[in-house]
Amino acid sequence: MDSQLTLGDRLRVRSMIYVASEPIPRFWPMRTFIHHNPLFGLEHLPFEKAVEEGTRLFHGRGYLPRQEYQRYRAEGKIDDVALRRRMDAFVARSADRIPGGIDLGKWIWTLATSWPAERLVFRSEWLTGAGLYAVLHSQSGGEETAPETAVRLEAILKRRVAADAPVYMNVDRLFGTDIGATLDELLVKSCLDFFDEGQSAWQAPNREQGFFSAWKDVARRNARFLLRGLQLRQLLQLEETPEGMVAYILRLLKVPESSWQSYITRQLTRLHGWAGFIRYRSSARHYYWSRKHPADLTDFLAVRMVLGMALLQEAVRHHGAPADAEAVRRFVEEDSWGAYLRLELHEGRILPDWAHLVEDDLARRRSRNREDLARRYIRAKSRWEAVRQVKALQGLADLVGENAAQALQVLSAGEIETLLELLREWEHGEGFVWLQAMESHYITALVEKIRVPPPDPEPAKRPFAQAYFCIDVRSEPMRRQLEALGDYETFGIAGFFGIPIGYLEFGKGSESHLCPAVQTPKNLVPEIPADLDLEEEPLYGALEHVLHDLKGSVLSPFVAVEAIGLIFSLGLIGKTVAPLTYHQLRGHLDAKKPVTRLLLDKLSPDQADSILRAVQRAMIVRALAKELGIGRDQVTDDEVRELREIAMGHVPGPSTVARRLGIGETREAEFIARLREVYRVDRQETGLQMERLGRIGFSLEEQVRYVTQALLSTGLNRNFSRFVLLAAHESQTENNPYESALDCGACSGGRGLPNARALATMATKPEVRRRLRDTGITIPDDTWFLPAVHNTTTDAVELHDIEMLPARHLLYLERLRNGLSAATRRCAARRMPTLGAPGKLAEDPYAAAVMARRQAHDWSQVRPEWGLSRNLYGIIGRRILTEGVDLEGRAFLHSDDYRLDPKGRMLENILSSPLVVGEWINLEHYFSTVDVEHYGSGSKVYHNVAGRFAVMTGNQSDLRTGLPTQTVLQDGRPYHEPLRLIGLVEAPVPFVLRAVGNLVKVRSLLFGGWLRVIVLDPEDGYRAHVLEDGELQVHPASDRRSRPQNSLEEIAS
Amino acid sequence: MNLVLLLLSGVFLPLFPLSWLFNRLVASAPGAWAKALAILVLPQLGVQLLWTSGLRFSGIAGPWHGPAAALALGTAILYAFRAISVREITIWARFMATSGLALAWLQVLAGLPAAQVQLSLLAWSIPGALLCLWAGELARRMGGAYIGLSGGVARVLPRLSTLLTMGALAATATPVFPGFFVLLNVMGVLPAGWVPFLLPVLFLWGWSIGRFLQDLLFGVYRGEEVEDLGIAGAWAGALVLVVFAVAGLFFWGATWTVS
Repeated sequence: MDSQLTLGDRLRVRSMIYVASEPIPRFWPMRTFIHHNPLFGLEHLPFEKAVEEGTRLFHGRGYLPRQEYQRYRAEGKIDDVALRRRMDAFVARSADRIPGGIDLGKWIWTLATSWPAERLVFRSEWLTGAGLYAVLHSQSGGEETAPETAVRLEAILKRRVAADAPVYMNVDRLFGTDIGATLDELLVKSCLDFFDEGQSAWQAPNREQGFFSAWKDVARRNARFLLRGLQLRQLLQLEETPEGMVAYILRLLKVPESSWQSYITRQLTRLHGWAGFIRYRSSARHYYWSRKHPADLTDFLAVRMVLGMALLQEAVRHHGAPADAEAVRRFVEEDSWGAYLRLELHEGRILPDWAHLVEDDLARRRSRNREDLARRYIRAKSRWEAVRQVKALQGLADLVGENAAQALQVLSAGEIETLLELLREWEHGEGFVWLQAMESHYITALVEKIRVPPPDPEPAKRPFAQAYFCIDVRSEPMRRQLEALGDYETFGIAGFFGIPIGYLEFGKGSESHLCPAVQTPKNLVPEIPADLDLEEEPLYGALEHVLHDLKGSVLSPFVAVEAIGLIFSLGLIGKTVAPLTYHQLRGHLDAKKPVTRLLLDKLSPDQADSILRAVQRAMIVRALAKELGIGRDQVTDDEVRELREIAMGHVPGPSTVARRLGIGETREAEFIARLREVYRVDRQETGLQMERLGRIGFSLEEQVRYVTQALLSTGLNRNFSRFVLLAAHESQTENNPYESALDCGACSGGRGLPNARALATMATKPEVRRRLRDTGITIPDDTWFLPAVHNTTTDAVELHDIEMLPARHLLYLERLRNGLSAATRRCAARRMPTLGAPGKLAEDPYAAAVMARRQAHDWSQVRPEWGLSRNLYGIIGRRILTEGVDLEGRAFLHSDDYRLDPKGRMLENILSSPLVVGEWINLEHYFSTVDVEHYGSGSKVYHNVAGRFAVMTGNQSDLRTGLPTQTVLQDGRPYHEPLRLIGLVEAPVPFVLRAVGNLVKVRSLLFGGWLRVIVLDPEDGYRAHVLEDGELQVHPASDRRSRPQNSLEEIAS
Repeated sequence: MNLVLLLLSGVFLPLFPLSWLFNRLVASAPGAWAKALAILVLPQLGVQLLWTSGLRFSGIAGPWHGPAAALALGTAILYAFRAISVREITIWARFMATSGLALAWLQVLAGLPAAQVQLSLLAWSIPGALLCLWAGELARRMGGAYIGLSGGVARVLPRLSTLLTMGALAATATPVFPGFFVLLNVMGVLPAGWVPFLLPVLFLWGWSIGRFLQDLLFGVYRGEEVEDLGIAGAWAGALVLVVFAVAGLFFWGATWTVS
């Protein structure tokens, strides 16, 4: 069969899969949760259109239900003027269609603001103006004629049994079979087997061959498939390659080639979580598991199509269902009445009192009266739809009041139909109007809150400390509290401090990228222990390893529960009853992390080779102790060196140490194999490591550039204080698969401390400072850059690398710590009541701080902190604009002084990276809130970790890619207010437009409406220019007359 | 005359193939209340007619015992099987009642007194009747009592769904409802060799209630908003169920278990 497919066919299938996968957002593993826009693949479309397309592809809703917006309006969070303006525009657009006597503006205002249900105009298939008229006037009739019914039926069937829909899907609809659900279930099981990253004790075989190939081997022998009667063997013999299999099955199903693209899209979007993960995986070259077990969407699709084909064949045998797309079409054409009744019944859309009758009739092989039954049913359905719709229309007319009910009554059949059509159109776009009106309210609120700086501010005195925090919304309260305490000046910078690094943490085998997901770091920074005993593993650590291995063993349930179950109960009780105390006690048992330094300077080739050898020798020493129980004192350096050479394949065994200590040949061979596989002392890995070593560190020029950029982009080029704190942030939670979602978004869901340490080290280096002086940035000798970590769960700020602090600074350390811990308590006091703590905690900062720490260690806590929920603003400008303003932890604050950035390059950097990350975070929250089931991930309560890289609902489901209910909802209502990010930039309008014009992606996001923008123009009296409908308009609250500017997109481009 | 009465009793106290007529009669009753009444009254009438016919059975030794018992068990199995595929609650209730009522023939064949058999019949009739009433309430709200179309009915109609669930559990002889004790009694009066033939009935009832609850309680509701049963109505229904269960413990459970 292979020979029948040309290379062109195969390439065409691959390219179609590539195109079909474009709308599916990549899904990063949860260890490094990346907040992403679920509609990222549709960002080339305007927001409103993309939302519609998202609904079509992913079945997710794009806006909140009407009742939620009505509640917001009652709370004063909707700008009525903006709402009215949008409605007026709609009425003006529809002026020539409005039936006489109908005040459409009033109707839609009442509909939007007072109608108590999500829909007024129901989805109907048989509704006609005549039918509505008849019901409205309590008359019988109003039905269509027989030919009209037949024509409409044909259109309905064409839509509901779509030609490009997967055949099994149409069979499910027509026969009530469960192929779709069964297929998903089998596919998810296959994916779990293959993509597992160490969660399963028993791994699937041959995974290194790739997904499709490994799956084929297992499927041929899978007893579960055989028991179900799935004839996979025959199918699998027909094609070898995944793309060939896809093409072969598409032909077998007689899917027209013109429909292949949409057919593939529908197949891939069905489990878009898995598809997104595989898509990410196949494109992440640095991802360890994808290198080890390769897979792509072609494999995924091939497995899906083989399984789907086998299940379809089973349905053909058992239910007499059509076997291909052609047969489905014929089936519907030959008995269209029966097909319609089948669709109604099996899609659950049938009138309940007809269900049994129709089911009975369809159960008969032949029915003479089926057409008659269908016609009677259609009449009943048509009447039912009309009655339901008229009831709703009359209800709305009553709410509109005055003469609306009478006006409705005198409309002709055609006019009623037109009115209904207009209301349907309004409802279609109503969500977007609500969204804009709500954003308008918050834009006004921000414009009113912003403090316009005085023209000539007094020269500032030297603050006690300056602190850089991430732009994350959780930094805003901390900055505000710290500033309120006294001599502190704070700055906002993206949490990776502008330095994209690939970080190799000590003790971790793989590199993590600490920078926004849109960037790929060029430089690698390893963490080197300064004080470590590699030979000894702490007792508790060893015990933990033993228990972990035991848990994974198949025999454990039979032998270990009685023996060691009690040990686990200690932890169980401790974590539940007294999490804080338990954590403190346990902290004593855990090994302390050694003091480390970052390797930041570039290496010469000799240095690189020497380092690699040193690391490998250290690993061999450790392996000898762990695997063979041979201590460091029993081996010499030469023997270790020899073992390395053997592992590298440079010299053959047996080794001297094996001969000397009487280690058998087999045992030594096993040890060498472990060295290669587990400790990665092998030739291939060494080549890879040498390549990596070439990436290690930064040249001096790079270091100077990064420090300059960090300082100038935040407006700090003078008046440096004694301490410049570089506070990265992280969260601290227990038993929480979403832990990294609470970490730093600008570090790809990682923790930004290494970046802070890197910047601090660079900025403290004398050579760097000397070069900075040349560029006009003079950092005083007593200024010390100190890395720190802001724990967003407890609000604590912990200082790092204190051992490197000069003695003269130690005198001031206590004051710094006092200030930080006071700010911690003040933040906790504000935050704890929002997490369900008693309101009196707001008056007791000490108790609030204790509670925050308890939350961090409580393993039953589903909401340890609110994270980035309620994020709304992104402010790029000087701190003076918002200093002392309570932004309620809802603003990303990026410090920027356009005056230090004459070319606008720094603004471009901010717009292209931190702003885009902010937009992703914002839209992740937005869509998870408006549809927590489709775009979010549902309730955490039902989640199970899948393969250590994601969560599923229950024991198997699609991967849940968004945020859980507990992050965005409170008591069933949105806690996060779903609004697009409102960005405010402090800079002259032309300056901003020029920067935007240089960034294609950013321009498309701004003018596509993916985020809202306000430009606060210092050279125009600090008037706020709001980007609205593609034009910048001066906001009335900024106290000037509106001066619309045209063709801004043209200027920008 | 006796034969006519016997046949009539076979109609009212359903026994295949006459059970078809019983079902037609109940199905043709206009409205939920009439159906409930029919399920309650017709079986009682059947027993009465049987006694009027003067036909008496004296336990397992009778010559008709074997075929008649087989027919009764066959009827119970047949209707339990049919109930599995039915999603209309009134029909489901009717089939389940028919399946349970057919077992009363085994008690009749065992020579149990008329009063005791009549009491047994109530254990199957009352849940069937209650289900008919509540199915009527459901139909009034949703246009029909066909479950499984949209799923998750329990979410929008929690009170009515609870009553339906409890009623269905009572209809399938779940402890502590009287049906359970009647089933124990039937097992007691059956010769040991016949008991395995009763087990398929239990298996099918279990399967049936599983499907029933799956369709009623689980899934995501996609229909329109509907008003649940009033609090007073829910309490009244709950009271009837509690009285039924408590009375069952006293009349069927305690009495028979002790004896």
